[in-house]
Amino acid sequence: MEKLLAQMPHDAIYMNKNLVCGALIYGNSSWTNYWENTLKRDNPNIGRLTTQSMTAMLAYGIKKDLNLIAIVPFIKTDASQGNLLGQKGLQDASLFLKAKSKSFHGITAHGVLGFSIPLTNYVPDFMPMSIGLGSKSFIVRGIISYNLPKNLYVNSSISYQARSMVKADRDAYLSGGKLYNTNQVPVPDAFDAALRFGYLKKDNQLELFAEHFSCTKGDDIRRNDMPFLTNDMTMSTVGIYGKYQPKSLGVNAKVAYVFDGQNVGQSTTYSLGILYQFKL
Amino acid sequence: MKYIITIFIAMVFISCDKSANELGLVPYMPTNLDETGGTWKTFVLADPTDVSLSAPLLISDPLYKKEIDSLKTIVVTDVQKQAVQYWGAGVVLRWNEIARELSAKYNLPPAANSSGVYPVPNAADPLADPKFPFANPPYTARALAYLSVAQYDALVAAWKYKYQYKRAPPNIFDSSIKPLLPISTLPSYPSEYAVVSQASYTVLLAMFPGEGPFLKQKLDEAKNVPIWAKTNVPSDVNAGLSLGAAVAVKVMARAKADGMSAANNQALVPDLINHSKSIGFVNPWISQETPARPPMLPNYGAVKTWNFDRTTLESIRPAKPYLEGSAEFKKDLEELQNIQSNQTRNQAAIANYWADGPGSYTPPGHWHRYACQAGFDAKYSEIRMARMLAYVGTALMDAGIACWETKYYYYSPRPQQFGLKTSVGLPNFPSYTSGHSTFSYAAATVLSSFFPDKTSVFNAYAQEASDSRVFGLIHFRVDCSMGGKHGIQIGDYAVKRAKVDGAN
Repeated sequence: MEKLLAQMPHDAIYMNKNLVCGALIYGNSSWTNYWENTLKRDNPNIGRLTTQSMTAMLAYGIKKDLNLIAIVPFIKTDASQGNLLGQKGLQDASLFLKAKSKSFHGITAHGVLGFSIPLTNYVPDFMPMSIGLGSKSFIVRGIISYNLPKNLYVNSSISYQARSMVKADRDAYLSGGKLYNTNQVPVPDAFDAALRFGYLKKDNQLELFAEHFSCTKGDDIRRNDMPFLTNDMTMSTVGIYGKYQPKSLGVNAKVAYVFDGQNVGQSTTYSLGILYQFKL
Repeated sequence: MKYIITIFIAMVFISCDKSANELGLVPYMPTNLDETGGTWKTFVLADPTDVSLSAPLLISDPLYKKEIDSLKTIVVTDVQKQAVQYWGAGVVLRWNEIARELSAKYNLPPAANSSGVYPVPNAADPLADPKFPFANPPYTARALAYLSVAQYDALVAAWKYKYQYKRAPPNIFDSSIKPLLPISTLPSYPSEYAVVSQASYTVLLAMFPGEGPFLKQKLDEAKNVPIWAKTNVPSDVNAGLSLGAAVAVKVMARAKADGMSAANNQALVPDLINHSKSIGFVNPWISQETPARPPMLPNYGAVKTWNFDRTTLESIRPAKPYLEGSAEFKKDLEELQNIQSNQTRNQAAIANYWADGPGSYTPPGHWHRYACQAGFDAKYSEIRMARMLAYVGTALMDAGIACWETKYYYYSPRPQQFGLKTSVGLPNFPSYTSGHSTFSYAAATVLSSFFPDKTSVFNAYAQEASDSRVFGLIHFRVDCSMGGKHGIQIGDYAVKRAKVDGAN
């Protein structure tokens, strides 16, 4: 149910001027349990819901302290049981600009601005099978990173995501017990916050992280109902991320686990990527 | 930094206003007062005089003068003005809209309990889990039909007494009164707002017993609207309330005896399956849910119809569909298999638009919405709006009954029993015939007779709704084509009845 965003707009790493890093990342996120409002349950008519993704990513050093990041994911969903038809397609393209301040006693401030826009006219209101929410979004993020001795670092971030109305296929929907006779559906805005602790030497990195995602408002999935675009989704995630890039070619990997949530699946996600760095 | 600013500015333009705007329905002056409405043939009342209404005070009576004066001193708040504008768009229409909202709210299949059993909603404890009712398509078709019939019969009675007693509206008696709504010369006793609101309240409370406080609040608002709008005096309103209540009692007496209480008789199921096998279905329908859910209302087909009798219902039952193994069956199955592999975005959109599944007002609600819009666009009077909705509503309920009778007569399998998935969600009852097709063609047929210049639009909608079930992969083509034909026949019975009710 969450948008699958790669880590890079979150981190404190920059490409030098005219340096480009391209990545191709395979992701696999799945759940058998989900929170129907606060009730944790499984659903034998869904079984395991798997979202696979293939994400192309490009980070470009405009300057050594200003990077541009572009991300395009292809998503495919499947349910292991029941009869809901899996969906697939290109999801939302996102573009981020990331800039940092000068380091002050090892502390650096970063600002990230981004937006995302659906690349295709995928079905947004067939959740949980839909490949995305269909909204355009605008993201602003602040990051503080702190370099510790021995190549260790801590970084914390907070971001706000403004999300647009979505045009649903249906011409009426129920939200919060009220019927709206329109196809215009407001997807609630969202916050996320993260804390990361890791080791970084040159381009090799190992990181532990915790993230919390929450909508600013929204309704809850009713008993035995399907999720919908207007839901107030919340989730808390922990994970580990690593990158190994001895030369221009490298790999990255991530494992993440949602340990608490509301109106979302309790997903376990892993991803594996190939990175390639080159000078323009 | 300038890049950031550029992106920021671009985003401000991309970000949209997030208030969900609905189509504006505003007060209007009807094109026709329908003065003869009191003579129109009713559905449940044998005659409008089945419900009595005593004569109002004469306008020469000082008490009436006092009522008129009371209107002049009323200070209408902004909230009350909003209520006037809201209900002024049509009291019949607004109660229909409220009923659709409640249908959507209660349209949720119960969850299985920990022992894998699906508890049955209990009318005596409506807010317990699972909530009563499960407002599925047959339930909603029936709720909306009784609502519309009660509104119509109540308005026929109201019109009869309006023109019998001929009390002029307050602003004609005293020209210093400035109504907040368009006002005609329609006699004001009894108040049509009060008649419709009390009748609607009574029916909806019976259909959605957990919604008492919500419905009471709507009733209290609606019945005060003509006072705030200065289009009725309190005695008009009180007379309307008592007349509306009396009509609703009679309409609900029919509802209580129409067979709905036995519609979920699951004891019939083994015999239905045996019958299906005996007429050639090798694999009768079986629930595709885990745990298996009992079929939805297997005896709804025995509920009392409105516009034709039981013999007719059986005589127009669609012929047996193609059996598994036949060339025709294979062709229909292949059509679905091809759609599953190559479903276009447009097919998915049509399937989703008409899906009207859980959390929606169901296909009968969708058609009531279109009907309300058409009546609004045509500037129908309240009584003509109620009449049109009564024919659309009873045709939709008849469609539900006849379609359910057909479904359980054949008990035919769903495409999912042959390996197909769905892009809309799978209803839990036999396949043949398609409810969407039957409902939609029945409604389109009635609507086309009321609004002949929109015939092609309504028929196109019906065909799209019918196709949507093939595009969504949950019906074979024959389910839809035969359901559609059945729906036209069912709608025609309502049209035939409407032609001789004295309104044309």
